[in-house]
Amino acid sequence: MIGTPRLALAWRLLRRDWRAGEVQALLFALAIAAATTTAVSGFSERLERALDQQTTELLGADLVLESSRPAPDDWLQQARDAGLRLSAATEFASMAVAEAGLQLVAVKAVGGDYPLRGTVRIASEPFGPERPAAAMPEPGALWAESRLFAALGLQRGDRLRIGDADFALTEVLGFEPSRGGNLMNLSPRVLMRSEDLPRTQVIQPGSRVQYRALFAGSPAAVESFQSWLEPRLTEHDRLVNARAGRPAIGNALDKAERYLGLASLVAIALAGVAVAMAARRYSLRHYDVSAMLRCLGAVQRDIVTLYVAQMLLLGLSGSLVGAALGWIAQIGLVALLGELLPLTPPPAGPLPLLLGVATGLVTLTGFALPPVLRLRQVPPLRVLRRDLAPLPARAWLVYGLALLTLLALMWRYTADPRLTLIVAGGAAASAVSMLGAAFALLLVTRRLRRRVGAAWRFGINSLWRRGASSAGQIFAFGLVFMAMSITALLRTDLLASWETQLPPDAPNQFAINILPHERDGFAAFLEDQGIHSAPVYPVVRGRLSAINEVPVRRAVTKEEQDNNALNRELNLTWSAVLPEDNRLVAGRWFQETGEARPEVSVESKLAERLGIGLGDRLEFQIAGETLTARVISLRSVEWDSFRPNFYMIFPPGVLEVYPGSAMTSFYLAPGREVVLQRLIAQFPAVTVLDVGVLLGEVRRIFEQVTLAVEYILMFVLFASLAVLFAVLAASHDERIQEGALLRALGASRRQVRSGQVAEFALLGLLAGVLAAAGSEFIAWLLYTQAFNLEYSWKWPVWLAAPLGGMTLVALAGAWGTRKVLSRPPALLLREA
Amino acid sequence: MSKTFLMAARHLGKTVSTQAGSLTILDNVDLEINRGDSLAIVGASGSGKSTLLGLLAGLDVPSSGEVWLEDVCLSALDEDGRARLRAGHMGFVFQSFQLLPSLTALENVMLPLELAGVASAPAQARDWLERVGLGPRLEHRPQQLSGGEQQRVAIARAFAIRPALLFADEPTGNLDSATGARIIELLFELNQSQHTTLVLVTHDASLAARCSRHLYLDAGRCVETAA
Repeated sequence: MIGTPRLALAWRLLRRDWRAGEVQALLFALAIAAATTTAVSGFSERLERALDQQTTELLGADLVLESSRPAPDDWLQQARDAGLRLSAATEFASMAVAEAGLQLVAVKAVGGDYPLRGTVRIASEPFGPERPAAAMPEPGALWAESRLFAALGLQRGDRLRIGDADFALTEVLGFEPSRGGNLMNLSPRVLMRSEDLPRTQVIQPGSRVQYRALFAGSPAAVESFQSWLEPRLTEHDRLVNARAGRPAIGNALDKAERYLGLASLVAIALAGVAVAMAARRYSLRHYDVSAMLRCLGAVQRDIVTLYVAQMLLLGLSGSLVGAALGWIAQIGLVALLGELLPLTPPPAGPLPLLLGVATGLVTLTGFALPPVLRLRQVPPLRVLRRDLAPLPARAWLVYGLALLTLLALMWRYTADPRLTLIVAGGAAASAVSMLGAAFALLLVTRRLRRRVGAAWRFGINSLWRRGASSAGQIFAFGLVFMAMSITALLRTDLLASWETQLPPDAPNQFAINILPHERDGFAAFLEDQGIHSAPVYPVVRGRLSAINEVPVRRAVTKEEQDNNALNRELNLTWSAVLPEDNRLVAGRWFQETGEARPEVSVESKLAERLGIGLGDRLEFQIAGETLTARVISLRSVEWDSFRPNFYMIFPPGVLEVYPGSAMTSFYLAPGREVVLQRLIAQFPAVTVLDVGVLLGEVRRIFEQVTLAVEYILMFVLFASLAVLFAVLAASHDERIQEGALLRALGASRRQVRSGQVAEFALLGLLAGVLAAAGSEFIAWLLYTQAFNLEYSWKWPVWLAAPLGGMTLVALAGAWGTRKVLSRPPALLLREA
Repeated sequence: MSKTFLMAARHLGKTVSTQAGSLTILDNVDLEINRGDSLAIVGASGSGKSTLLGLLAGLDVPSSGEVWLEDVCLSALDEDGRARLRAGHMGFVFQSFQLLPSLTALENVMLPLELAGVASAPAQARDWLERVGLGPRLEHRPQQLSGGEQQRVAIARAFAIRPALLFADEPTGNLDSATGARIIELLFELNQSQHTTLVLVTHDASLAARCSRHLYLDAGRCVETAA
């Protein structure tokens, strides 16, 4: 037998099978696996690109060198030689002097070529609409933020002094890249040309100045320069690239991406189950064909070639269709998350399509190969004796291959073998317990069967007769409905509970950058206004540099090296008493001995992550000096209390020598915004942040992320439907036979129909009950363990999940078995 | 060994093990079939007719004894080797027609030709279907054909590779007597024109009567051979 006719035969057989409706279930399931993969990886890739792009725009460059000294010339020369573009920014704090008064400002002096990436945004009037600036300020001109205009009662065109130099205020500054992102530097910002710096005479030996060197160029050039530069960095220097400079929203999206990945894995696993079932049925229905082919002289290899070729054709077409659908779906996903995304994400490359097709083929191989390969072992004697069947494929081969496939796919998302095993183990344990629960539910209904009408009894009997597959379906649908209920709960109920459980007078305003000499005045001002505030905490900025004399980067594990607490300056405070909602976890609070000892109390979760224990010596870099303090206690902190919270608290008498400021939070009742205006007028250096606005932002992010997860859950739902249709197909002949027999015996169409619909309705109902129980449990865990919220019974889930499940599965099942009634019983009986 | 026979069975036996112990289905059957013979294997249900047919066709392996096709011992070949032998030399007609339900009549007849690597398979298959009177029904699928028509397709498929040996297992068993008679006519007519050697299992006396030789089986033993 030569190759071409064999392939032609494979094609012809496949085409006929398609027309006979033998392979659609397989194709559908494969398409889902491929579509899910393409959608999720396409979305992830675009997100990744968008975040990188956004970060470079925030940085104003591809790479930024931050330092307390100007970058050495040979470093800059190296960058030029590497083909990079360069720019520089010098940043320092200074007083701005206007006719109306003084104001501490953050000055940034830049060259005309600033920024290398992104844009500076300006406005024509304070708080007015912003537009991109075409060029940097002219020498002698100054741009300042709206807040400075407000604080000093300025207008465009007014004069302003910085140090010894006089400037014309020409534009309102909206946004400029490469800001030091921390809240403590929130003095009004001012942008000027570096050519004017000498005139100001502000920078003197010993002044605190931050120098930024900006680099941009091709990714390869940036990377090679970065690896050249890294070993040369000193403790004064810090290198920021797109990844390190990624904003906080990036972390939320990273997490969303991982959830999407895992959700898609559930869809792929379910699709795999559907593929396996469809392949089994396919194999069973092709025993006769194989036997006939063997009888006509086909050797085993011919059979393998014939069916593997068919599977490959099927796999490729299913995967291609799926990948194309997934491509469309990721466009939908991006649109859904549009508002949340930093900017319109660039289109995805071809990789997600390839991944989708590959996943389809891998799923096919892992789940369908064993039953299909069994076809080569059909004995030719079957043409004479129909009862002869090949030995079943070995169970370990079937399940082992499927499990291995799933682990491999899971590993792709977690990229961590240990996590893969943990997730797989957890999933297996939950699957077993959910299957057990599904069986228990079946048992309960069996008990009820004598108390219900004929149709329901028929349904219960049918479910029970196919017990294992019914439990499997209850499990699969239960999982889908559960995932949907939980995301819906999170989106609606969790945030609402959180907000209602906050005390009504929980602080909604943060005041930071309170100058030391204004501290008492500020507290008095709030008291005069009858505003209850948290204590006003002094704040000194410092960087944790060593743990027990070991530089901190070497002292912590690799995973913790990116911990934010290490990469930025921390707010250090002092207090004689333990803050109200902090709790000592280990050690003791400071004792008043009259003499200040360098001791520190550390937030317990940070301590755990960085491996800090009682008695450890922590080294801090504060205003160019080193302070060593011994850890004497660990504290737990309520981060969501909206009060100022600190990683590090010192006893009084240690930090007072360093320059610093103060911060507090307070509750401002609605309608009292006028107090804020007076407050800003009286304390112009203070920055007030409205938590309500931040909370709104958090809610928006949360809602959109859960929406995205729900979107991917649609794929899980489709995969479950694929399982349902595969199961229906497997019992299809039996059902048709049964239906035809019942009708031949005189049952009306309506009776047969309602019996079948009852079976599916019951299936959906039980899955819904399982889902409600599961989501109640998981929600309870989330509320009480993860979010520390009071839990109340989520009764709407107990209505929505069973009713929704019943309707959906009944409709799908009715559609899947419609043929049973649309053809005359005699014909069906003869066919069978 | 004399070379005059096309196929021979020597001391052929088949036993299967069941829960009740081993069961002998065929016991020490000796047989020679010459080129051009038409042999009817007859006997009651369960006498071992179909088992003997399966062994002769190499679809199954004997527990004892040997089957020879000219100078090739079938028992010495593996399953694939026997399949290759079938591909070149043997055709089959079954009681239940055994057409592939997903293929058209034409495609069913093309199947063995394609398996044998015949380039002009479609033309030859069309030719054969016309010879069995199904020229207008080439594109019909088995489901759309009557029992008699399906058996005609099966006969066309069996003769298409011009086999030296044609095995027929109760070819009229699923047909009414009038249709069965027409099928028998067709089978013998083609058998003669193609000079095929026919081995036929039946308990239809009229069908057996058309054969040149008869082998009577009773409980797995050959009780009588008649010319």
